[in-house]
Amino acid sequence: MTLIAPETTAPAPEAIPGRPRSALARRLVPYGYLSPTVLLVVVLMVVPIVMVISYSFRDNVIVQENSVFAGLANYTKVLTDADFLAAMKNTAIFISVSTAAHLVLGLGFAMMLNTSLLGGVAKAVFRIVYILPWLFTIAVIAVIWRLLLDPSGVINYVLHTLGVIQQGVDWLGSPSTALWAVTFANIWSGYPFFMISLLAGLQGISGDLYEAAAVDGASWLQRFLHVTLPQLRPVIISMAVLDLIWTSQQFALIWMMTGGGPLNTTEMLSTYTYKQAFSEYEFATASAAAVIVLLITMVLAFFYVRSQRER
Amino acid sequence: MATVKTKRRLAKSGVITGLVIGALFAGLPVLWMLSTSLKANGDVFASPPRLITENFSFGAYREILGNGAQLRFFLNSYIVAIAVTVLTLLVGLLAGYAFSRFTFPLQKTINAVIVSVQAVPPITLVIPYFGLVVALGLYNTYPGLILTHMVFTLPYAIIMITAYLNTLPRELDESVKVDGGSSWTALWRILVPISVPGLIAVGVYTFMISWNEYLFALTLTRTDDMRTVPIGIQLLMGQHSYEWNQMMAMSILGSIPVLVLFLLFQRRFIGGLTAGAVKA
Amino acid sequence: MAVRATRLQRVIGAAMAATLVAVVAACGSDDSSDAGSGGAVTLEFAQWWGAELPAGDFDKIIADFTAQNPTIKVKLLSAPYASTKQQLVTGAASKTLPDVVGLDGAWVSDFAKQGAIADLSQLMTDAKYDQSQLASQVQIKGKTYMIPVVNFIYPLFVNKDLLAKAGVADVPKTRTEFLEAAKKISATGGNVKGWALPLDTAVPNGIQNDVMSWLWASGGSMLADGKPALTSAPVKSAVEYVKSLNDAGVIAPGSLTMKEQDKVEKFTNGQVGMVIDSLAHINLIKKNSPKLNFTVAALPAEDGFTGKRGLPYASWGIGVSNSTKHKAEAFKLVQYLMSQETNAKLSTIANGFPGNKNAKPDFSTSDPLFKTAFDIYQAGVPANEFVGLPKSEDLMRSFDEQLQLVLTGKSSVDDALGKAQESWSSVIE
Repeated sequence: MTLIAPETTAPAPEAIPGRPRSALARRLVPYGYLSPTVLLVVVLMVVPIVMVISYSFRDNVIVQENSVFAGLANYTKVLTDADFLAAMKNTAIFISVSTAAHLVLGLGFAMMLNTSLLGGVAKAVFRIVYILPWLFTIAVIAVIWRLLLDPSGVINYVLHTLGVIQQGVDWLGSPSTALWAVTFANIWSGYPFFMISLLAGLQGISGDLYEAAAVDGASWLQRFLHVTLPQLRPVIISMAVLDLIWTSQQFALIWMMTGGGPLNTTEMLSTYTYKQAFSEYEFATASAAAVIVLLITMVLAFFYVRSQRER
Repeated sequence: MATVKTKRRLAKSGVITGLVIGALFAGLPVLWMLSTSLKANGDVFASPPRLITENFSFGAYREILGNGAQLRFFLNSYIVAIAVTVLTLLVGLLAGYAFSRFTFPLQKTINAVIVSVQAVPPITLVIPYFGLVVALGLYNTYPGLILTHMVFTLPYAIIMITAYLNTLPRELDESVKVDGGSSWTALWRILVPISVPGLIAVGVYTFMISWNEYLFALTLTRTDDMRTVPIGIQLLMGQHSYEWNQMMAMSILGSIPVLVLFLLFQRRFIGGLTAGAVKA
Repeated sequence: MAVRATRLQRVIGAAMAATLVAVVAACGSDDSSDAGSGGAVTLEFAQWWGAELPAGDFDKIIADFTAQNPTIKVKLLSAPYASTKQQLVTGAASKTLPDVVGLDGAWVSDFAKQGAIADLSQLMTDAKYDQSQLASQVQIKGKTYMIPVVNFIYPLFVNKDLLAKAGVADVPKTRTEFLEAAKKISATGGNVKGWALPLDTAVPNGIQNDVMSWLWASGGSMLADGKPALTSAPVKSAVEYVKSLNDAGVIAPGSLTMKEQDKVEKFTNGQVGMVIDSLAHINLIKKNSPKLNFTVAALPAEDGFTGKRGLPYASWGIGVSNSTKHKAEAFKLVQYLMSQETNAKLSTIANGFPGNKNAKPDFSTSDPLFKTAFDIYQAGVPANEFVGLPKSEDLMRSFDEQLQLVLTGKSSVDDALGKAQESWSSVIE
């Protein structure tokens, strides 16, 4: 077998293939593959994050010239703030419901789109329809959902005509429904991510496994539980972790739909931080809140990394 | 006594029903977007709501397509999104390969750092990040935006690519190594062609993230010749009212080429390329 | 497999090459406000005004400035209105603020504290500017930081058809009349309500425009000696009045998350009979709903009040960046926009009132309602106590949150005002 030299100009960490490599060079190979990523992440991310962490220990940051060291004062202020604790609770509900729904919907749609019962054209059409929520920027999604959920908007109109409700529900303005309305909009905007990734994952499952299971007399459900799910497990776990992290960052959707109201029922960690930074001009407090969020998320990240078993 | 054929027919109608309900769920807001883009601004909030109004017109589309500044937004979005996708896939592939096929000291730490880096609320990062970009001379430039978007998309790309590569048996690259090839060859000749569906999924999503990103695109650009579509849409949200039809028109126009791209590449999803081709 | 791999590699290689070429070739645009050859200066002016004016009009006004000052070019920068303040704060932090900035009065205190905007009093003295022509200046500790260029008052907009349909003969002038009119309008049914109250906490301007306006219209004040006085009788009466409107069911649903834009939309669509709204919307309403029969009036005051009625207002203000290298040229632009002729022209096309005392908007070509509004303006007194207060958005928000508790029955008026007073006292020292 002849070796074909790569035609790309990406950094080639090794020497020309075929030449004997020292043990050291071989050990450095993975670092070589990682080098562009590490460079980019360190310069553009780690540096600002370190600055944010340093802000969290100071006071009079950014908006004033003379910042002073403040120890843990900002952290105490944040952790004892009732608004922050409410935001934590709302965020927890928001991300767990969103991620769970994303998973269920994404898997359900992916499996339906993967079915052998329909022709290629039909599936292609549905595929297009299902990825539609993905195509739009979050500001537009927030704005269109506000329009739909307006007390005199389409959703109330349809529900009223169908006789499901008597008079218009104030979805976004009522403290009891606002969080669910916002979560629903978030579910709508985010499920295509799961669907596409799972669809690709489903393609990768060898048909032989299914055949073997069918030969063993497994029903559809058993095949799902014992072939599909285990095969998709690494993908599902990765996506769930990512989705939890991303959803906890969701800012624009909530800000533009409810602004954290009414009565703080949709206040999330992201809106709380924004208000601290750009309304109260307390960047130190905002930084402290950010670091707390970072620490909590690192727990999730470690869980993800641990689940990456050797194969 | 249900025959196989009846069972199949039941299953098929079940699937179709599910698909239709799902399509309604997915498509109705978008349909409403389309309908709004064809209305006059005054009719948007009309009660009772109507799908098509008497002031039906394509005026909003004409406005957008005839406006040089708006078209420039589209161009910028494309340049940035395409560059980000290509570069992220490349860099992410290399990193994913490292995580998947090698074991080395600090592996878990680096992996964890890359994942957690996206956990910091972007809004708190904006100001220090902005200062950094200005200091690096990347303010109001394409590379500034491209590198910024890459930092957001890389963690995801690396995680997903690692996951996909992990589903591919090691025997595949072993076969290359046995013949004296390097890890580089194993990557490009064997693994990449097989992981194309996964790479496309990652690529499509990377494109979307870059395309729809707003906060940093706004902060890192200053002039209209650098700005992207999401900013263009928000510029239509004025102090006193929104240009509803133009906003929706711009969103729809922005989504069409992406849809076309998706149409082109979706064949790869169903192309029948399966992992586990070792036995072949 | 090998063939496919090579092709894939080639595709990737080509894509990368193309990307690099595109990126390098189109490598950004150099923006600098440095002096070019021959001493020409380029000023960057960040504002949201151009988008609110008829297409091209603002560009023409700026072009005239360059015609009069050939060595100074002006580059107009715009940002989405909702993100303007945040972008200014970010820019100020890295000292990359544009030379001239459009400002809202509510931001001045914090920007001045941040050292982001320049002391205009000094610039005015340096340029030997006649300050008496300015209708108002926004000052912090005796130094001017912002000059209002155009003022938009917020009178009461009334849908005459809905009023007639409800059997109300005259536009309400007192609080009692207003409550009655609102009740009658809401009784006509079909989702129509008498009033709209936008209490969105993301941008809590509703507190300024729709709540405190009741207080100011009756000559009341939320401050005493510059310190918060929220537990005083006038404030309590205004809040109780709003509560009574809510209890009477005359407020359009969705209040707690309604934005100003939604309020305008509902009025334009005839779903709400009366709103307190910016004069700048007259053209907008007429464009979107040409058949709407509406008028403007002064805000209703407490029964028996005979003093001058306060009229809430918002301004397009202008300031100069503290880090600009061209302060003198920047002030020239400010002077130009404040000059009698230009200011009059700008006010006319914006449907606002001029910041230059001597400038007279041209009423002959504009809407007759504009003249009505000007009369209301002359008869009343502009009132917006939030201008110049520190962290005014935060103040509005904390008041908003307490008001929402009152309206949902979770707090009494006294408790709410007490808590708001506490929040405010910790901000306003």
